[in-house]
Amino acid sequence: MLCAAILIALSGHNPLTAFAAMAEGAVGSAHQLGVALNKTTPYLLAGSGVALCFRAGVINIGAEGQIAVGGMGTAAVALALPIDASLPAIVLALAGGALAGAAWAALAAAIHLGRQVHEVLVTLLLNFVAALLVQQALAGPLGEFGAGFLQSPRMPAAVWLPRAIPGLDAHPGFLIAIVLAAALSFLLWRTRFGFSLRVAGASRPAAAYAGFSVAGLTWKVMLLAGALAGLAGGIEVLGVHRRLIEGFSLGFGFKAVTVALLGALEPFAVIPAALFVGLLEAGALSMQRQVGVPSSLVAVIEGLTMLFVLAATVRRRAA
Amino acid sequence: MDFLAASIRIATPLLLAALGGILSERAGVFAVGLEGMMLAGAFAATVAAWAADSAGAGILAAIAGGALVGVMVAVVTVRYRADNMVTGLAANIFVAGLTSYLLRAAGQGGRPPSIHLAPLAAWPVPLLSDIPVLGPLLFDHPPLTYLAAIACVAMTLFLSRTQMGLTLRATGENPEAVFASGANPKLVRMLSVVACGAVAGLGGAVLSLQQVGTFTDNMTGGRGYLALASLIVGRWTPAGAAAACLVFGAADAFGLRLQTFGLPASSYVLQMAPYVIALVVLASLGRATRLPAAIGQQLD
Repeated sequence: MLCAAILIALSGHNPLTAFAAMAEGAVGSAHQLGVALNKTTPYLLAGSGVALCFRAGVINIGAEGQIAVGGMGTAAVALALPIDASLPAIVLALAGGALAGAAWAALAAAIHLGRQVHEVLVTLLLNFVAALLVQQALAGPLGEFGAGFLQSPRMPAAVWLPRAIPGLDAHPGFLIAIVLAAALSFLLWRTRFGFSLRVAGASRPAAAYAGFSVAGLTWKVMLLAGALAGLAGGIEVLGVHRRLIEGFSLGFGFKAVTVALLGALEPFAVIPAALFVGLLEAGALSMQRQVGVPSSLVAVIEGLTMLFVLAATVRRRAA
Repeated sequence: MDFLAASIRIATPLLLAALGGILSERAGVFAVGLEGMMLAGAFAATVAAWAADSAGAGILAAIAGGALVGVMVAVVTVRYRADNMVTGLAANIFVAGLTSYLLRAAGQGGRPPSIHLAPLAAWPVPLLSDIPVLGPLLFDHPPLTYLAAIACVAMTLFLSRTQMGLTLRATGENPEAVFASGANPKLVRMLSVVACGAVAGLGGAVLSLQQVGTFTDNMTGGRGYLALASLIVGRWTPAGAAAACLVFGAADAFGLRLQTFGLPASSYVLQMAPYVIALVVLASLGRATRLPAAIGQQLD
């Protein structure tokens, strides 16, 4: 925060005014809070998946691509469905997204495990391929003709996520995400699978000695995280943009890593971490509008927070 | 002919970043921060060259900018013993945000100032550039391209023929032995990461000073990650990395060619080529890639 204040002051604005505008933009009205919750949703979903991967010692940086492909999957299903009934259509479309995200993660897992390529590289490179894949789909079968941008036609109104949380301009995705994060926390701490994940993360040889298949665990946790990220992409498409847009997932993957680390790789603690980032972003947008401080300040704060958290947590462990 | 020249042009920033990455990884620190180091270099080069109206100042600033990111990564990974991969990513996010922020803060009303620099001109090498075919291909490039080639040779000699190079490599393989020999492996790692930043920063300067003539948000666009892939494909040797960078450059140049000829292949599919090739090559090398033994390991 101090670093942020110095940066704002350097750019010739009053940090206090800027922070006031930021707070106002984050929680100043029901509408703003809704915007913040909507921003929080994908980070929370993808971030709790990433937290689980990191717990198991699988450094999955691929949330970005999995979100992109998930959004594409949801859009494809939603546009192709002949159903008018709202709820089944939404469920099917989101399932399509989760499936697509899991498939993309499966590709990464297959290359990583099958050919012993480091997962960070595989997932990173696949992020770029995924973004281009979405652009390709939008330039072709999923695209809206003559739109001038790369975007799909508007989703049929039946699959729009309703503004369901009373009084807030938010879609129900945030609630889904909270429920899933709580479920993942249970999975991590109260089940055999969760235990094996934690053992594998702490020591690969110990996990193998205990009879857990590390490869099998990697598969499962990658598929799970991919499905969560795909769901996040699907919710983003149905709940926020109501169409598939080029680059809608830009930067989401790294934010997922940020909130996973901020939440100390504990899905339940990822909830406040994701809220923090969501509020920060909603606030920064309005700060940019009102005070003229560029909203890229958010990335600076996020990066710095991440570096501090990294430096601090490891030192604690060493002590 | 143009095609080969274009391959070299695209490969140049990748090669400088990959050479930096070799220093870092050979000393035992994963070089995921290459993207941020390049971006910082590209940014610092643009601002300094614009402010001082001198390309030389830009190049020095690129070295300093990249090295600063290197200092940050070095402190967090070596001093505070944080995970190399995630630290690199955090640094990348931080630099992307910071450069974008500073660019806007320097302009009016939240808009970046418009900076237009004349891209560095080619320096044809006297006599050699007159050789038919080879001359225009190899000896008619802008200065930083020669610098990348020279750095590649220099790095090979440094790593294989000097005491410092040996110490650096040993730190990545067996830090205890380095410690026993009286050197400080932590210091070696920190210096290597800072040097990595400086060289990768130069790679960023190639983009902003030599090719585009300005800085745009996130202008490296994943080149740092491609550089990382190419140094692995090149098995942590400068010559190998250079070959890999040229292959990626050729893949990109090939895509651009197809587009200009209006062939039916889609531009997005073609843009995937470098990433897909990187994945395929990495996958086919598979188990054959041997990492420096102590890479990513924390030192007490």
